[in-house]
Amino acid sequence: MSTNLHQAGVKLLKQLGRHADLVMDVYLSGSVPEGGENAAAIEKLRKSEILWRPEPDQELRLKRSVRAVLEEALSDERNRQIDSNVGSSLASIKTLAGHYKEARHNVDYSASEAYLADLNEHVYSFAEGLRYSIRVLWSRINNEFGYVGTINAKIRENELAQSQVTELLNGLEMFQFSELGEIAGDIRELRKLLVTSLQETLSDCTQELSVVQGRLLELLGRFRQIRGRTRLLKGWLLYTDLHPDYMPVDHVSHKQLPTLFNRAEAILAPAAVDVHNTGYEPELLDIVSRIKAIARTNHDPQLREHDVSVSLSQAEEFDIPDNPLKLAVDEYFCSVIDSGRNQSALEYLDEQNLPWERESWLYQVICGYEGLPEEHRHYFELEPIGEPDPVYTGNFIIRDVEIWLA
Amino acid sequence: MSEMTETAIVGTGAIIERLLKGEFICRTTDEEAWRSLKSSTTRERVETYLNQINRTIGSAGEGEVFFCGYLQLGDAERKVISSQFRDICNALIPLVEWLVLVQESSGQDAPLSEGAAVRLTELQTRIEDTPAFREQLAKISHYRLFGSTSSNVDNQIKLVFKRLVELGYLTRPNAEKQIFIATGKLDYLYEVIRFIDETEGLSLEAQAETATQRDLV
Repeated sequence: MSTNLHQAGVKLLKQLGRHADLVMDVYLSGSVPEGGENAAAIEKLRKSEILWRPEPDQELRLKRSVRAVLEEALSDERNRQIDSNVGSSLASIKTLAGHYKEARHNVDYSASEAYLADLNEHVYSFAEGLRYSIRVLWSRINNEFGYVGTINAKIRENELAQSQVTELLNGLEMFQFSELGEIAGDIRELRKLLVTSLQETLSDCTQELSVVQGRLLELLGRFRQIRGRTRLLKGWLLYTDLHPDYMPVDHVSHKQLPTLFNRAEAILAPAAVDVHNTGYEPELLDIVSRIKAIARTNHDPQLREHDVSVSLSQAEEFDIPDNPLKLAVDEYFCSVIDSGRNQSALEYLDEQNLPWERESWLYQVICGYEGLPEEHRHYFELEPIGEPDPVYTGNFIIRDVEIWLA
Repeated sequence: MSEMTETAIVGTGAIIERLLKGEFICRTTDEEAWRSLKSSTTRERVETYLNQINRTIGSAGEGEVFFCGYLQLGDAERKVISSQFRDICNALIPLVEWLVLVQESSGQDAPLSEGAAVRLTELQTRIEDTPAFREQLAKISHYRLFGSTSSNVDNQIKLVFKRLVELGYLTRPNAEKQIFIATGKLDYLYEVIRFIDETEGLSLEAQAETATQRDLV
């Protein structure tokens, strides 16, 4: 029996895979006309009940279950379907628990195991379905019902979502854990499944649903505000069109002034110089005389006796003279190669009586080492000699460095 | 510590200056000042200062927009307020028509509100392409509030936007770009209309709804 089922399932899935393009076309367009080039494939899909005909003259459509698989797997936001029928799930869970208890009581192990597996499946799929519904709700909230165009449609979508949340919450209230506890009795497996795991899921989901509800209300408020403003503007135009000589009542003459209209006169006016006032002339001239052009580079006016022709030619080669300190470091590296033994940088400095300051010498040696091409650097090893800072951890004070051939 | 108080003083100084210039402070125009005013300590400090010169902080749009009002109302203050009220009443029709034009020409669901961006070049193309919008723009730009005398769409729309920036309904964060952002003063405007609607019992929203329903039928 179970091998038959297995084979049939594989066959069905293969069929889906073979006609994946067609199935997706139907998923996206909603329905498919018969005939045409795909007639054979369509007929096969219809026979295996992947496509079905809702009414005699209608075109073929995708079965709801296949649609649901695709919607879920693709997280398609158009999916609005939420299974809020908690009652029937609860009833089937209770029934299966009854079967299991009876089988256990009759010491029928194979039957009880099968029932327990079934029960597991039911409880988990119930939890998964619940979580999925919440996920669907969130995805709709997160893009603010972006899949419909107008504010009114958004408000309707929001109201639909709210009713779904309420239904789900009402459904969840039907779970009486005392009752489930009684059913489970002292059977460990049942307690784990019906009490611990379900309770956890339910409390999580209830909490999340109340957050969802809050967000939905907030969104609805915003949508209504937007709609209210649009209507306010339109209404205003309509009203002023109908009553061309309408003027608002003088709302500020009351003793109690609405705070909205209590606006003080500006004390500080934006400042600007009146260039037309001759009285300011000396000051303005003074300001102008103090304006100076700041040029960062010296531009000596150059006078050319004659036109200089410009031609583009190969740039001449030029040398950048090497820094003597850098050359000395190169010497040091060479001497390490020559001698083949490790030598400290400062010792070398003293030996050769070089004029450089000790610190800059060390810096240049380290730079010289780091600046070597990768393949050359492999020949050397550089070891800093020093000690960690006595006070601040993580700092290492380098007193000297040593270089040797690797 | 001393550094902190110093920056706080500089901050409140700038806020007070803005308020005394008659500007509206919202998240879009000056986020830092807006945040400071939301904190009660800074707000109290500013309020204490303003109280000394018979001023107080007023707010609108559910506390999202701040402006400067009078603490005590004498005859002189009332005069200023009623002239300002007359100004805003005269500005209402052009502004509302402009808001509806922007909303309809850009095909949006929501009317302009604080923080929303308007791309002038895009808007201009849309208006230029539709004769009805062009007519509407010409009508709006010739109102006294905007005072255009031009018959050219480009001049009209540029002038309208320039005036709206001057009046504080829009800001232009980058002078090189033709992108404008609506300020909290627009939200203030909505509140003014709503106030008038409610106190005079005009039931504007209901009228608009029945009108759209009639259109649907």
